[in-house]
Amino acid sequence: MTKSKLSFIAAALVIALFALPQVPLAADSWNLPDEEEVRFDAKVTDVLCVLSGDCPPDCGAGKRVLGLLKEDGELVLPIKNDGSFTGAVTDLLPYCGTVVTADGLFTVNYGVKTFAVQFLRPLDGKWGRTNGFVKQWAAERGLEAKDKKARRWFRNDETILEIVGEQGKLGLKDKGIEP
Amino acid sequence: MRRSGILIFYAMTAALAIFLAAAPPARADQPRRVTITGEVIDSWCYLSEIMWATGSAHHQCAIWCARGGVPVGILGEDEQVYIVLRVEDDTDVIGNHGIMRIQTNEVVVEGDLYERDNIKYLAIDTIIDDHGIVNYSHEQFDIQPFGD
Repeated sequence: MTKSKLSFIAAALVIALFALPQVPLAADSWNLPDEEEVRFDAKVTDVLCVLSGDCPPDCGAGKRVLGLLKEDGELVLPIKNDGSFTGAVTDLLPYCGTVVTADGLFTVNYGVKTFAVQFLRPLDGKWGRTNGFVKQWAAERGLEAKDKKARRWFRNDETILEIVGEQGKLGLKDKGIEP
Repeated sequence: MRRSGILIFYAMTAALAIFLAAAPPARADQPRRVTITGEVIDSWCYLSEIMWATGSAHHQCAIWCARGGVPVGILGEDEQVYIVLRVEDDTDVIGNHGIMRIQTNEVVVEGDLYERDNIKYLAIDTIIDDHGIVNYSHEQFDIQPFGD
Protein backbone atom coordinates (compact mmCIF):
# COMPACT_ATOMS: atom_id res chain seq x y z
CA MET A 1 0.00 0.00 0.00
CA THR A 2 1.39 3.36 -0.99
CA LYS A 3 2.06 6.11 1.49
CA SER A 4 -0.61 8.31 -0.14
CA LYS A 5 -3.25 5.57 0.23
CA LEU A 6 -2.36 5.11 3.89
CA SER A 7 -2.65 8.86 4.43
CA PHE A 8 -6.06 8.86 2.75
CA ILE A 9 -7.33 6.01 4.95
CA ALA A 10 -5.98 7.68 8.09
CA ALA A 11 -7.65 10.96 7.15
CA ALA A 12 -10.94 9.16 6.46
CA LEU A 13 -10.78 7.46 9.87
CA VAL A 14 -10.14 10.76 11.62
CA ILE A 15 -13.11 12.34 9.85
CA ALA A 16 -15.32 9.36 10.72
CA LEU A 17 -14.32 9.51 14.39
CA PHE A 18 -14.96 13.25 14.44
CA ALA A 19 -18.39 12.79 12.91
CA LEU A 20 -19.39 9.88 15.17
CA PRO A 21 -20.96 11.92 18.00
CA GLN A 22 -23.12 13.74 15.44
CA VAL A 23 -24.53 10.63 13.81
CA PRO A 24 -25.70 8.08 16.37
CA LEU A 25 -26.29 4.52 15.43
CA ALA A 26 -29.82 3.87 14.27
CA ALA A 27 -32.33 3.25 17.00
CA ASP A 28 -31.81 0.02 18.90
CA SER A 29 -34.49 -2.55 18.20
CA TRP A 30 -36.49 -3.60 21.24
CA ASN A 31 -38.66 -6.09 19.34
CA LEU A 32 -41.80 -4.13 20.05
CA PRO A 33 -45.15 -4.82 18.41
CA ASP A 34 -45.16 -3.48 14.84
CA GLU A 35 -41.87 -1.75 15.55
CA GLU A 36 -40.42 0.85 13.18
CA GLU A 37 -37.08 2.62 13.53
CA VAL A 38 -37.65 6.31 12.83
CA ARG A 39 -36.00 9.69 12.87
CA PHE A 40 -38.04 12.88 12.44
CA ASP A 41 -38.21 16.58 13.27
CA ALA A 42 -40.99 17.84 15.50
CA LYS A 43 -41.84 20.57 17.97
CA VAL A 44 -41.84 19.67 21.65
CA THR A 45 -45.25 20.55 22.96
CA ASP A 46 -47.60 20.14 25.90
CA VAL A 47 -50.30 17.69 24.80
CA LEU A 48 -53.06 19.22 26.93
CA CYS A 49 -52.17 22.61 25.47
CA VAL A 50 -52.48 21.33 21.90
CA LEU A 51 -55.80 19.62 22.59
CA SER A 52 -57.55 22.01 24.93
CA GLY A 53 -55.79 25.37 24.70
CA ASP A 54 -54.69 25.21 28.36
CA CYS A 55 -51.11 26.32 27.88
CA PRO A 56 -48.74 27.19 30.72
CA PRO A 57 -45.64 29.01 29.45
CA ASP A 58 -43.14 26.27 30.30
CA CYS A 59 -44.95 23.15 29.03
CA GLY A 60 -45.91 22.42 32.63
CA ALA A 61 -42.39 22.36 34.05
CA GLY A 62 -42.00 18.62 33.57
CA LYS A 63 -45.28 17.66 35.21
CA ARG A 64 -47.44 17.39 32.08
CA VAL A 65 -47.58 14.86 29.29
CA LEU A 66 -45.40 16.13 26.43
CA GLY A 67 -45.76 15.36 22.75
CA LEU A 68 -43.90 15.85 19.49
CA LEU A 69 -45.90 17.85 16.97
CA LYS A 70 -44.73 17.16 13.42
CA GLU A 71 -44.99 19.65 10.60
CA ASP A 72 -47.71 17.55 8.95
CA GLY A 73 -49.85 17.93 12.08
CA GLU A 74 -49.31 14.48 13.55
CA LEU A 75 -49.04 14.58 17.33
CA VAL A 76 -46.59 11.84 18.34
CA LEU A 77 -46.80 10.55 21.91
CA PRO A 78 -43.31 9.76 23.29
CA ILE A 79 -44.09 7.58 26.28
CA LYS A 80 -40.66 6.05 26.87
CA ASN A 81 -37.05 7.14 26.88
CA ASP A 82 -33.90 5.02 26.89
CA GLY A 83 -33.77 4.41 30.65
CA SER A 84 -35.26 1.71 32.85
CA PHE A 85 -38.90 2.35 33.75
CA THR A 86 -38.66 6.00 32.74
CA GLY A 87 -40.53 8.33 30.42
CA ALA A 88 -39.21 11.07 28.17
CA VAL A 89 -40.55 14.26 29.76
CA THR A 90 -37.26 15.15 31.47
CA ASP A 91 -35.44 14.75 28.15
CA LEU A 92 -37.96 16.78 26.17
CA LEU A 93 -38.68 19.61 28.59
CA PRO A 94 -35.53 21.68 27.86
CA TYR A 95 -36.75 21.93 24.25
CA CYS A 96 -40.31 23.05 25.05
CA GLY A 97 -41.66 25.00 22.08
CA THR A 98 -38.70 24.28 19.84
CA VAL A 99 -38.09 21.82 17.03
CA VAL A 100 -35.89 18.81 17.75
CA THR A 101 -34.78 15.76 15.84
CA ALA A 102 -35.91 12.59 17.57
CA ASP A 103 -34.63 9.11 16.88
CA GLY A 104 -36.22 5.97 18.22
CA LEU A 105 -38.97 3.43 17.73
CA PHE A 106 -42.58 3.69 16.77
CA THR A 107 -44.68 0.85 18.05
CA VAL A 108 -48.30 0.19 17.17
CA ASN A 109 -50.43 -2.02 19.35
CA TYR A 110 -54.17 -2.17 19.98
CA GLY A 111 -54.40 0.47 17.25
CA VAL A 112 -52.35 2.95 19.28
CA LYS A 113 -49.07 4.31 17.92
CA THR A 114 -46.57 5.47 20.52
CA PHE A 115 -42.92 6.43 20.43
CA ALA A 116 -39.87 5.34 22.40
CA VAL A 117 -37.34 8.13 21.99
CA GLN A 118 -33.76 6.90 22.29
CA PHE A 119 -31.77 9.84 20.93
CA LEU A 120 -32.58 13.52 20.79
CA ARG A 121 -30.92 16.66 19.51
CA PRO A 122 -31.86 20.28 18.89
CA LEU A 123 -31.84 21.09 15.18
CA ASP A 124 -28.22 20.93 14.04
CA GLY A 125 -27.12 20.29 17.62
CA LYS A 126 -25.41 17.35 19.24
CA TRP A 127 -27.09 14.03 19.76
CA GLY A 128 -27.72 12.80 23.24
CA ARG A 129 -29.14 9.56 24.62
CA THR A 130 -32.39 10.00 26.45
CA ASN A 131 -31.67 9.12 30.05
CA GLY A 132 -32.66 12.44 31.59
CA PHE A 133 -34.76 11.06 34.42
CA VAL A 134 -31.96 8.95 35.90
CA LYS A 135 -29.43 11.77 35.48
CA GLN A 136 -31.72 14.14 37.34
CA TRP A 137 -32.61 11.55 39.99
CA ALA A 138 -28.93 10.87 40.59
CA ALA A 139 -27.95 14.54 40.65
CA GLU A 140 -30.64 15.31 43.23
CA ARG A 141 -29.00 12.73 45.48
CA GLY A 142 -25.39 13.70 44.81
CA LEU A 143 -24.78 10.63 42.68
CA GLU A 144 -23.53 9.91 39.19
CA ALA A 145 -26.05 8.40 36.76
CA LYS A 146 -23.75 5.38 36.39
CA ASP A 147 -23.82 4.73 40.14
CA LYS A 148 -25.39 1.36 40.96
CA LYS A 149 -27.96 3.01 43.20
CA ALA A 150 -28.99 5.34 40.38
CA ARG A 151 -29.14 2.57 37.80
CA ARG A 152 -31.53 0.75 40.14
CA TRP A 153 -33.32 3.98 41.02
CA PHE A 154 -36.71 2.23 41.03
CA ARG A 155 -35.54 0.05 43.95
CA ASN A 156 -34.15 3.04 45.84
CA ASP A 157 -36.55 5.90 45.25
CA GLU A 158 -37.96 7.20 48.53
CA THR A 159 -41.51 7.81 47.23
CA ILE A 160 -41.71 4.36 45.67
CA LEU A 161 -40.41 2.72 48.83
CA GLU A 162 -43.02 4.59 50.86
CA ILE A 163 -45.97 3.67 48.63
CA VAL A 164 -44.92 0.07 48.04
CA GLY A 165 -44.26 -0.19 51.77
CA GLU A 166 -47.82 0.91 52.49
CA GLN A 167 -49.57 -1.03 49.72
CA GLY A 168 -47.31 -4.05 49.23
CA LYS A 169 -45.75 -5.15 45.94
CA LEU A 170 -49.11 -6.52 44.81
CA GLY A 171 -51.07 -3.54 46.12
CA LEU A 172 -53.12 -5.89 48.28
CA LYS A 173 -51.50 -5.45 51.67
CA ASP A 174 -54.73 -4.00 53.08
CA LYS A 175 -56.43 -7.28 52.19
CA GLY A 176 -53.71 -9.29 53.89
CA ILE A 177 -52.34 -10.56 50.58
CA GLU A 178 -48.59 -10.27 50.15
CA PRO A 179 -46.06 -12.21 48.08
CA MET B 1 -90.50 44.88 -6.98
CA ARG B 2 -89.16 41.81 -8.67
CA ARG B 3 -85.81 43.54 -9.19
CA SER B 4 -85.55 44.61 -5.54
CA GLY B 5 -86.28 41.01 -4.49
CA ILE B 6 -83.40 39.77 -6.59
CA LEU B 7 -81.12 42.45 -5.08
CA ILE B 8 -82.10 41.38 -1.58
CA PHE B 9 -81.40 37.76 -2.49
CA TYR B 10 -77.93 38.68 -3.77
CA ALA B 11 -77.24 40.81 -0.70
CA MET B 12 -78.24 37.99 1.65
CA THR B 13 -76.15 35.47 -0.29
CA ALA B 14 -73.15 37.81 -0.14
CA ALA B 15 -73.64 38.36 3.60
CA LEU B 16 -73.85 34.63 4.19
CA ALA B 17 -70.68 34.07 2.16
CA ILE B 18 -68.82 36.73 4.16
CA PHE B 19 -70.06 35.21 7.44
CA LEU B 20 -68.95 31.73 6.46
CA ALA B 21 -65.57 32.99 5.28
CA ALA B 22 -64.98 34.92 8.49
CA ALA B 23 -66.14 32.17 10.85
CA PRO B 24 -63.27 30.23 12.44
CA PRO B 25 -62.92 26.62 11.34
CA ALA B 26 -64.27 24.02 13.71
CA ARG B 27 -61.61 22.88 16.22
CA ALA B 28 -60.04 19.57 15.30
CA ASP B 29 -59.90 18.51 18.90
CA GLN B 30 -63.36 19.08 20.30
CA PRO B 31 -63.74 16.94 23.44
CA ARG B 32 -66.52 14.47 24.04
CA ARG B 33 -68.04 13.99 27.47
CA VAL B 34 -67.47 10.43 28.68
CA THR B 35 -67.74 8.17 31.69
CA ILE B 36 -65.06 5.46 31.72
CA THR B 37 -64.70 2.43 33.95
CA GLY B 38 -61.30 0.80 33.87
CA GLU B 39 -57.98 -0.07 35.45
CA VAL B 40 -55.31 2.55 36.06
CA ILE B 41 -52.31 1.27 34.11
CA ASP B 42 -48.77 2.02 33.05
CA SER B 43 -49.25 2.89 29.39
CA TRP B 44 -45.80 1.78 28.22
CA CYS B 45 -45.72 -1.74 29.64
CA TYR B 46 -49.26 -2.40 28.45
CA LEU B 47 -48.88 -1.04 24.91
CA SER B 48 -45.40 -2.48 24.36
CA GLU B 49 -46.34 -5.88 25.82
CA ILE B 50 -42.84 -6.24 27.25
CA MET B 51 -44.39 -8.02 30.23
CA TRP B 52 -47.78 -8.82 31.74
CA ALA B 53 -48.91 -5.31 32.52
CA THR B 54 -52.25 -5.36 34.29
CA GLY B 55 -53.49 -6.27 37.73
CA SER B 56 -51.70 -7.02 40.99
CA ALA B 57 -48.83 -8.80 39.19
CA HIS B 58 -47.77 -5.49 37.69
CA HIS B 59 -48.69 -3.16 40.55
CA GLN B 60 -45.17 -2.43 41.75
CA CYS B 61 -43.88 -1.87 38.21
CA ALA B 62 -46.78 0.45 37.45
CA ILE B 63 -45.70 2.56 40.42
CA TRP B 64 -42.09 2.53 39.19
CA CYS B 65 -43.11 3.72 35.74
CA ALA B 66 -45.50 6.39 37.00
CA ARG B 67 -42.73 7.75 39.23
CA GLY B 68 -40.32 7.56 36.29
CA GLY B 69 -42.56 9.77 34.18
CA VAL B 70 -44.26 7.29 31.89
CA PRO B 71 -47.78 8.58 31.18
CA VAL B 72 -50.49 6.87 33.17
CA GLY B 73 -53.45 5.41 31.33
CA ILE B 74 -56.80 3.85 32.00
CA LEU B 75 -57.56 0.53 30.35
CA GLY B 76 -61.30 0.80 29.85
CA GLU B 77 -63.84 -1.99 29.98
CA ASP B 78 -64.06 -1.36 26.25
CA GLU B 79 -60.38 -2.48 26.01
CA GLN B 80 -59.37 1.00 24.87
CA VAL B 81 -56.39 2.81 26.38
CA TYR B 82 -57.00 6.34 27.63
CA ILE B 83 -53.95 8.50 28.33
CA VAL B 84 -54.58 10.66 31.39
CA LEU B 85 -53.79 14.37 30.97
CA ARG B 86 -55.57 15.80 34.00
CA VAL B 87 -57.12 14.52 37.22
CA GLU B 88 -59.71 16.93 38.60
CA ASP B 89 -57.92 20.30 38.80
CA ASP B 90 -54.46 18.82 38.69
CA THR B 91 -52.66 18.89 35.34
CA ASP B 92 -49.40 17.78 36.98
CA VAL B 93 -49.94 14.14 36.08
CA ILE B 94 -46.31 13.15 35.44
CA GLY B 95 -44.79 11.56 38.54
CA ASN B 96 -47.92 12.50 40.48
CA HIS B 97 -47.87 10.84 43.91
CA GLY B 98 -51.67 10.75 44.17
CA ILE B 99 -51.94 8.92 40.86
CA MET B 100 -49.15 6.56 41.90
CA ARG B 101 -51.29 5.60 44.88
CA ILE B 102 -54.23 4.53 42.69
CA GLN B 103 -52.20 2.51 40.20
CA THR B 104 -53.92 -0.77 39.30
CA ASN B 105 -57.20 0.30 40.92
CA GLU B 106 -60.43 -0.03 39.02
CA VAL B 107 -61.92 3.43 38.83
CA VAL B 108 -64.98 5.09 37.37
CA VAL B 109 -64.17 8.52 35.98
CA GLU B 110 -65.99 11.26 34.15
CA GLY B 111 -64.31 13.80 31.95
CA ASP B 112 -63.45 15.13 28.52
CA LEU B 113 -62.18 12.75 25.85
CA TYR B 114 -59.92 14.08 23.10
CA GLU B 115 -58.93 11.89 20.17
CA ARG B 116 -55.89 12.68 18.08
CA ASP B 117 -54.01 10.40 15.67
CA ASN B 118 -55.82 7.33 17.03
CA ILE B 119 -54.81 8.07 20.62
CA LYS B 120 -57.47 8.71 23.25
CA TYR B 121 -56.60 11.39 25.80
CA LEU B 122 -58.64 11.91 28.94
CA ALA B 123 -59.01 15.04 31.03
CA ILE B 124 -60.69 13.66 34.14
CA ASP B 125 -63.06 15.97 35.98
CA THR B 126 -64.26 13.55 38.63
CA ILE B 127 -63.25 10.18 39.99
CA ILE B 128 -66.76 8.94 40.62
CA ASP B 129 -65.74 5.67 42.25
CA ASP B 130 -62.60 3.74 43.19
CA HIS B 131 -63.04 -0.01 43.59
CA GLY B 132 -59.41 -0.65 44.53
CA ILE B 133 -57.53 -3.55 42.95
CA VAL B 134 -59.92 -6.15 41.56
CA ASN B 135 -57.57 -7.85 39.10
CA TYR B 136 -55.57 -10.47 41.05
CA SER B 137 -53.24 -11.28 38.17
CA HIS B 138 -50.37 -12.27 40.51
CA GLU B 139 -52.11 -15.60 40.99
CA GLN B 140 -51.19 -16.39 37.38
CA PHE B 141 -48.22 -14.17 36.61
CA ASP B 142 -46.42 -13.71 39.96
CA ILE B 143 -44.68 -10.31 40.20
CA GLN B 144 -43.78 -8.61 36.92
CA PRO B 145 -40.95 -8.11 36.13
CA PHE B 146 -38.12 -9.99 37.92
CA GLY B 147 -40.44 -11.94 40.23
CA ASP B 148 -39.82 -9.68 43.22
